[in-house]
Order: sequence, then structure tokens, then C-alpha cells
Amino acid sequence: MMVLKTRVVLAVAFAAAGLSATACATVQPWQRGLLADSCMVFDSNNTAAYMTHWQESREGSMGGFGVQGGGCGCK
Amino acid sequence: MGAAAYNWAQNQLDFSFHAFQDSRGVTVLSPDANFAKDFTDRTAVKVRFGVDAISAASDSCARCHPDGANNGRVVSSLNVTRKYGDTKLTLGGEFSRENFYSATTALASIARDLNKSNTTVAGGFAYSFNQPQLHPDQITESQHSIDAYGSVTQSWTRKTVTQFGYEINQINGYQTSPFLRTSVNGVMTVGNSPDARTRHALSARLRQALPGDTFLDADYRWYHDTWAVDSNTLSLGLSHHFGASVVGGGAYRRYTQTAAYFYEPYYTGTPEYYTGDFRLFPFDSNSVTGRLELTPKGGLMGMPAGTGLTLQYERYKSTTGFEAGIFTGGVRIPLK
Repeated sequence: MMVLKTRVVLAVAFAAAGLSATACATVQPWQRGLLADSCMVFDSNNTAAYMTHWQESREGSMGGFGVQGGGCGCK
Repeated sequence: MGAAAYNWAQNQLDFSFHAFQDSRGVTVLSPDANFAKDFTDRTAVKVRFGVDAISAASDSCARCHPDGANNGRVVSSLNVTRKYGDTKLTLGGEFSRENFYSATTALASIARDLNKSNTTVAGGFAYSFNQPQLHPDQITESQHSIDAYGSVTQSWTRKTVTQFGYEINQINGYQTSPFLRTSVNGVMTVGNSPDARTRHALSARLRQALPGDTFLDADYRWYHDTWAVDSNTLSLGLSHHFGASVVGGGAYRRYTQTAAYFYEPYYTGTPEYYTGDFRLFPFDSNSVTGRLELTPKGGLMGMPAGTGLTLQYERYKSTTGFEAGIFTGGVRIPLK
């Protein structure tokens, strides 16, 4: 059990170190063309908000941040 | 729960129309309007108004209304964002009202760009006061929900961006569905759920540009709560630019969930908690989505250049036998 815990801690530490080191690499403003594409932007359309809204009426783990519906009729 | 900052859009007006139909015969038609505008170089406002018009033939309604019943939900929200250098502060409120339920939410979020805008750290807090009304009784219950999230968005290369998030949600008060019943000693009875629930969600999201104007999106979400509901959600999608004006894409979503600790198919004796809420049952679901976005160079139907049309269809199926189809059509009009 102790060995497993140590391995988990080491794995997390290595992952954190790797992420931190890579985070120092920067993409320059003139290199951000693809990153600005709507396909690369998180939550870039309102359709996703509607999908989350109806999923929260069907799935126990959905919903949370923001206003919620009650659900007579669709539940 | 989506552990992500609100995306503050450029000046634009969005009109969407959603049509939902499921295997029980429930139809929901939902027009939706969003308006976002920078009023000064430091202040932006986003306003939303939406309606759900529900033709209610679900099991919970059909029990007392065999000929069907109708319901409607109106939701509106206002968010104001103020920029302070690389930091954005957003304050807002949302209000939702429907038959037998109302919800009022206040929210605040902050986002800061670091590392030449390659890193964005965001956090938010929301408080909701919800009031379900027991039906057909006239008793109004209350529920308090407190939610906080944090996320880190990182551009790793000119083709790769990720987002990691954590969200915690504490709900206190009445949390039983007043519409769904279960068998207790052979008698169909409205459930009785605990009045406290703490929910945790971790999310990891990737957007990767691939060769040939193609883009990969991959999202994973892990969830756990104190009612012992655990879930895993994985979605994978591909999008492709077909020339300058057309984007097409498809996505697959897989969802699995365990049952709440007090869930039973039926109850005997004198259980403390019992539920007929299908959202607390164990089940899996799969869904597939197809999407098409058109942004004609010269504008669309006389509207300004940059106006875009979105068409989307989703097919959802769960192991409880529930199936649904959701169609969305939307128009995005850029504003000066």
C-alpha cells in the first residue's frame, strides 16, 4: 500500500514538473491563428449551453453553475 | 456542472431554436436569444432570454393528465464584465420561472491572462435560491445551492490548447422530485431524498488542430457526490473546414452513472429515503451529434458579412430505454 502511494505521489510530482516546464514555452501572438479558430475555442457557441440544460434534466451528475430548471413535464 | 469560465463573445446577436422530442412523446420547443456587446473598451454586457415550451406527456404528467398537459419555462440573465488590464471580472444574475418551480441565481467570476495570454486562470462563485412547488399541493419548498469552480486554460503550442477544471456544489433543502413516484410497500409514493448533497467534478478538455483544416476536441469529466452517484463522461469530436464558408463536424458522447446509495427498484418496510427519480438510477447513455456551420462571405439573407447559420442534430439513447432527438438551428449576427 505504501509503495503504491509513493508511486502515485511520484507520478503526480513528475506530471506537475513536466507541465510546469512546458508551461514556460509561449506561443507568440502572431502564431495564434489556429488557436483563434472557433473549433479551438472552448464553449464558443450557445448550442453547448442548451445541451447542458437538457442533460441536467436526464442525468444525475449534470447541472451546477448557473440557474437550473425544475422540470414538470420533461422529467 | 461545467468547470469552465464563461466565454465572453465578441459583439453579436444570436438567435437559436431548439426542438427536443423523446421516446415518451414529450416535445420541447425552445427559442433562445443572446446579445453580447462591448459598451466601452473595458465594459461588456451579455443578455440572454430563452423559453422552453413543453408539451408534457411524460410519465409523471400522464399519471394525472392522460390527455397531456403543457408547461412553459422562461429564463433570462444579465452579465456585466469589466476588464482591469489582463483581468476580467464578471457579475451577473439569472432568473428562471416555470409552473411549480422558480430559480434565482447570482454569480461572480474572475479570469486572468498570464504568460503572454497563453495561460488563463479563472474562478467563479454562484448562489441559487430555488423554490419547487409541490404539485398538486400548494406547498412551496426551498432549496439553496452554492457553487464554486476554478479552471486553468493553457495554450501549449500553436495547435494545442487544454483546460483543466474543478467544481464543487453544495445543495441544501428540499431535493425530492415532487413529480416522480416509487413503490413503497406496493403504494406509489413521492420520494424522500436527503436534504444535503455535496457534488464534485473534475474536467479535462483538449482542442487539437490536425493537418488538413481538421480539429479534434476531447472532453473528459469525472463526478462524485455524497449520495454516492459517480459518473464518467467522455466526448470526442472532429470538425473540418470545407473551404472558407463551411464547417462540418461530428461528435460522440459516452456517459455512465452509478445509483444513489438509497436507490432501490422498489421499497419495503420503512425506509428513511426512497426515490423514483430516474436521474438517481444506474444507467449508461450514448449520443452522437452532427453539426454544420455556414458563414457565407457576403453575408446571409441580406444580413451583414460574418453572419453564420448553425444546424445541429443530436441522437441520445440510454440503457433505461429513454431515447431523444434534438435539433438546433441558430443564426449568429455580428454587431458593429
